[in-house]
Amino acid sequence: MKGAQSWFILALLVVVVASGVQVALKSHEVRRLHAELQAAQRTQDELLAEYSRLLLERSTQAAFHNVERIAETELSMQFPDAVERLEP
Amino acid sequence: MKAWRHYLLVVVFFGACAGMAVRVVYLNVRDSDFLQGQGNARSIRTEPMPAFRGVIYDRHGEPLAVSTPVMSIWTDPSFVTLDVSAVEQLATILKLDPITLQMELRSDARREFYYLKRRATWQEYEDVRALGLDGVYFQREYRRYYPAGDTTAHVVGLTGVDDQGLEGVELTFNDQLRGQYGRKVVLKDRRGQIIKDLEYLEAPRFGKDLELSIDLRLQFIAHRELQAAIAARQASSGSIVMADARTGEILAMVNEPSYNPNDFSRSLGHGVRNQAITDTYEPGSTIKPFTVLAALASGRWEAGSMIPTAPGYYRVGSLLVQDPLNRGTISLNTALQKSSQVAIAKVALDLDPRAVYDVLTRIGIGEYMGVGLPGEAAGTLNDRGLNNPVVRTTLAYGYGLAISPLHLTQGYLAFASGGLRMPLTILKQPGPPRAERVIEESLAREVVEMMESVTAREGTAPGARVPGYRVSGKTGTSRKVGAQGYDETRHVALFAGLAPASDPRFVMVVVINEPKGEEVGGGAVSGPVFGQVAGRALRLLGVRPDAERAI
Repeated sequence: MKGAQSWFILALLVVVVASGVQVALKSHEVRRLHAELQAAQRTQDELLAEYSRLLLERSTQAAFHNVERIAETELSMQFPDAVERLEP
Repeated sequence: MKAWRHYLLVVVFFGACAGMAVRVVYLNVRDSDFLQGQGNARSIRTEPMPAFRGVIYDRHGEPLAVSTPVMSIWTDPSFVTLDVSAVEQLATILKLDPITLQMELRSDARREFYYLKRRATWQEYEDVRALGLDGVYFQREYRRYYPAGDTTAHVVGLTGVDDQGLEGVELTFNDQLRGQYGRKVVLKDRRGQIIKDLEYLEAPRFGKDLELSIDLRLQFIAHRELQAAIAARQASSGSIVMADARTGEILAMVNEPSYNPNDFSRSLGHGVRNQAITDTYEPGSTIKPFTVLAALASGRWEAGSMIPTAPGYYRVGSLLVQDPLNRGTISLNTALQKSSQVAIAKVALDLDPRAVYDVLTRIGIGEYMGVGLPGEAAGTLNDRGLNNPVVRTTLAYGYGLAISPLHLTQGYLAFASGGLRMPLTILKQPGPPRAERVIEESLAREVVEMMESVTAREGTAPGARVPGYRVSGKTGTSRKVGAQGYDETRHVALFAGLAPASDPRFVMVVVINEPKGEEVGGGAVSGPVFGQVAGRALRLLGVRPDAERAI
């Protein structure tokens, strides 16, 4: 009877210690993941910001006015007066 | 002996310990909530987590409105004193006057917050950061850019400082575009710097992107031609609306005057109204094709039916209907081509009293359309007085009703689509539209064919022609209503049409308000604008020429 009780207490002790260790491990992991999340969020933020800037730059470069001006002045292209059709 | 001293010391010591223990329990148990609250109030803050507003794209993915982070740069003069060379460097980068800046910073050194520059560009931010100055801080803000500026201003609209839509689709689709800021709990030190994130209450929700039906290239062309025409005619304002004949998607919608949505400093008010949908006009002769349609549908008239118009005027009750000259006896087709008031009046009086009105309402003219832009005018078209021949006559040639350019687009869309009514929309549609047949297909095609003669050399708008393509349309010139009834000096020049006539791809309405000079008619003023824009549009859309080339 006495022996069984002390075994039980010993088992409980082991479980308590194990769960304590787990708590420490998990809280460490939470902190690590939290830092990872923050870093990921910062990266997302930076990438989105860069994307929006690139989008704006592309639309400025590829603006209709700009394309037309370059075609006409730098490449000396011109708009055809009438429709020219080449049949194969 | 001296034992009492020993005991006294013990008693005092344990007494103090007990006292402290009681105090600890007291603080921990009774005052714990209060103290915890006070502590947190000094260090724990809920901070917003920014979320981007959605991007607005045109139908081909060109951005029309983009939010991008900008940095506001500030310093704390009470904490650091920037030396002269640092101030000079800052002033060069931020394009400020170094002496003024120096004075500002010195004049009130107890200030804790001084904006060096609000909403600095990214380049400025990076240059300032590269200086590595102590006591210069950055604060992130968002700014919305509109790459196409005044060309798309009326459709896209703009947002206010708090990122709320104020005009255009920014307003109507604000809920979808708006990002939902997230919230997080953070721990801050005494200086207000975040030490640690404690808890995320709500993740930020990014705004959804929006795809408009607008084609930016067509928008550019339409805007440029409209600007040129308004400048050349010294007109007060004008609008162009262009819609896809197969889907009812609005491809272009421009107005002059316009405004630049990127320029915060300019006070708004001038040119903000989207006249293409908010302003109503008497459409004049552009309504005649609908009268012709009603005539053909009655079965009593054909394109070749002859109508005597001599002597060039015709009296209906108190109304004198006049043509500019005596055209003699002309066919219905010629009546449309030459825009004869007398012939159209005679046709209208021959028809059932409700015939023209019914055609117009079936097509959707004079109704609220809900294209997705704020401020849409419903227009006025009602069936009061249709028993009066004068009312019927004026309606047949486009007076006594007031409609917006958008309504006229809807009306001509019915011709272009072969007799279908479909909702006009500003959003790109994923599938085919909900179309409803309102006109018999053969009749719609016949009127389109008749309208082609309008752009012939003998028609009222040869300027609307596009070489290589067949173009149908109708001119309209109406007088504006002034203080004393119709004003003979202020006109509205209209042209509504579609191209190519054999298989229409788009409808377009051109309205120019109060042109000055010799010519004020729709054919001379608005027709050529239609021709210019349609010519470029047909080629951009890759439409095969449907006219025989005259060599």
